[in-house]
Amino acid sequence: MLDTIMKTKVFGWVDRRLGLEAIIKSQLTEYPAPKNLNWMWVFGALAMTVLMLQVITGIFLAMYYKPSAMLTDGGFSVAFDSVERIMRDVNFGWLIRYMHAVGASFFFLVVYIHMGRGMYYGSYKEPRELIWIVGVVILLIMQGAAFFGYLLPWGQMSFWGATVITNLFGAIPVLGEYIGQILMGGFSVGDPTLNRFFSLHYLFPLLLVAIVGGHIHALHTVHSNNPDGIDLDQHDPKNVVTFHPYVTMKDAFAVSVFLLFYSYVVFFNPQMGGYFIEVDNYVPANNLQTPAHIAPVWYLTPWYTILRSFEVKLVGIAAMGASLAILFVYPFLDRSKVRSARYRPMYQGMVIMFFIDVIVLGYCGHSAPTETLKLVGQIATAYYFVFFLALPFLPMIEKTRPLPEGV
Amino acid sequence: MNMKSMLLGLVAATSMMVSTQVLASGGDMHLKHAEINVADQEQLLRGLTVFTDVCMGCHSAKYVTYKGLMDYPELGISREMADELRGDKALTSGMTTDLSPEDAKESYGKVPPDLSLIVPGRRGGADYIYSLLTGYTHDPAGKVADGNYNEVFPGHLIAMPDPLSWLDHDEADTADLEKQANDVSAFLAFIGDPHQNERRAIGGYVMGFLLLLALVLFLLKREIWKDVH
Ligand code: HEM
Repeated sequence: MLDTIMKTKVFGWVDRRLGLEAIIKSQLTEYPAPKNLNWMWVFGALAMTVLMLQVITGIFLAMYYKPSAMLTDGGFSVAFDSVERIMRDVNFGWLIRYMHAVGASFFFLVVYIHMGRGMYYGSYKEPRELIWIVGVVILLIMQGAAFFGYLLPWGQMSFWGATVITNLFGAIPVLGEYIGQILMGGFSVGDPTLNRFFSLHYLFPLLLVAIVGGHIHALHTVHSNNPDGIDLDQHDPKNVVTFHPYVTMKDAFAVSVFLLFYSYVVFFNPQMGGYFIEVDNYVPANNLQTPAHIAPVWYLTPWYTILRSFEVKLVGIAAMGASLAILFVYPFLDRSKVRSARYRPMYQGMVIMFFIDVIVLGYCGHSAPTETLKLVGQIATAYYFVFFLALPFLPMIEKTRPLPEGV
Repeated sequence: MNMKSMLLGLVAATSMMVSTQVLASGGDMHLKHAEINVADQEQLLRGLTVFTDVCMGCHSAKYVTYKGLMDYPELGISREMADELRGDKALTSGMTTDLSPEDAKESYGKVPPDLSLIVPGRRGGADYIYSLLTGYTHDPAGKVADGNYNEVFPGHLIAMPDPLSWLDHDEADTADLEKQANDVSAFLAFIGDPHQNERRAIGGYVMGFLLLLALVLFLLKREIWKDVH
């Protein structure tokens, strides 16, 4: 079909002015992809799909949403009322809202698996360091966007979650208080906070779109890694398939399977038992009444546990910052020449432990704190850092397995 | 171990954690199970009556309008009934109580919460509402006045005075009171998310379509990849 379109006069006219054919060839029909990529390589395309869904549903929500904390009858607010208007009175508003709210959780789910894939197969290593580093920037912006977005319904969790996090900044010496006030637009979370969070919540995903462009550009410069983590001659048809139609069809199938899971949740279980939309967020924000248990949504809980693992608040903040910052230097900490965990017995064990570790961190961060959980969280926090800090020394003791010659 | 079995392991581990978590959040209070069906028109209408006759003495459901009561096919009340219920309020007005917040504060010490979102907004949902309405007992410690002690309310001391007169009711009335509690729980569960029946119905078609789409795309992918080895 693409061929037929490319032969038309209109296409020719555009092509002479934009060089479209060259782009289509180099990026799609002749762009090489290793033919041994497994299903873990579809998650980038899935992340792109959810990003698009979030942007589109978000644009429609913004047509009805009103960022105002002004009180209305019954202890509600203009913002909360507008969300309920969307849920009840706007045609298919419930669908758009649930798609957006559930989409946030799926976005993180997909991106975490995408990152796990990169960690397992060594996709962050030379020459793909920048793909990874740009990815970490993406992750930070995603977390920011989710944090800003969570305030918008102005429910109890919105309000208290934002209060806890913005107060953290206050603990940073010298500039902390100032940063906190800039974020909140005042001395506490209130109407000005809601307005600026809405503005930033709209901005961040658009930044994401641009940065994802850079992510893909970096990828297309160095080409995809593969499950064996070996260097492949990208011009040898023995090693590669063309992106279109091979990878596009594989991705399309993956997207349809993804949509099955996503739609199941959207249509049959949108709150996901309080994990995707928290129970307390159906209660309007009340600055005089703290909820019994404040916890961030599941996808931020691993970092919340790291924060809470230290008695001194400032140390906790530093540790949380470090746990994200260390991701930037991960490609340089790992000095093994072998990429894929398939051929790195020690690394394989360590990285699987790391995945379990992050789930444990998430579990601890979600639950009401107890002494045992605190200890478990501290051990998990320790392993989180040990994993990265042990990497430079690993090649000294790790005996890697022989790499295969080709695919 | 390859990535696939690893992922499966992770999923299993996570779901175990999630299920213990869900059990844990039920916590110390044992909720009774509410017999509700948010698609059962008769139950919803009975629940509506309990709501307007009993609950609305103090509570509002401001997001539910009288017009909404007519428009939601699950309720589908007539214009006459809507007129009767709304009195001199506008058809597009929310179902708001005539008790002013000031008077409520004076009588009960608190403003009763709006009930539009009470089911999604409480752990245990409709089960919690049902258990609460049938949870008035005498304080075992004998401190809290009768009518202010509730088994399932967090802290047990509740400002709402036993709305269905559950405490010390006649044995013969038990079934009727339980029915009222169930019906109003069903109504509240319905108005918490009034498009839920429509959502599930559409969801069935969406899943069906996506299954077909996935099948077609799977075959297409297999066809295209068949000569790649
Ligand atoms: C909005 C979020 C993101 C989108 C839309 C996205 C998109 C993509 C796409 C389409 C690919 C190529 C297909 C694939 O390998 O799956 C890719 C590759 C990659 N991404 Fe992402 N990505 C996102 C976030 C991240 C993050 C947060 C990281 C890591 C911190 C990351 C690291 C990588 C790496 C290392 C590769 C190369 C994989 C390889 O060649 O083996 N990405 N990304």
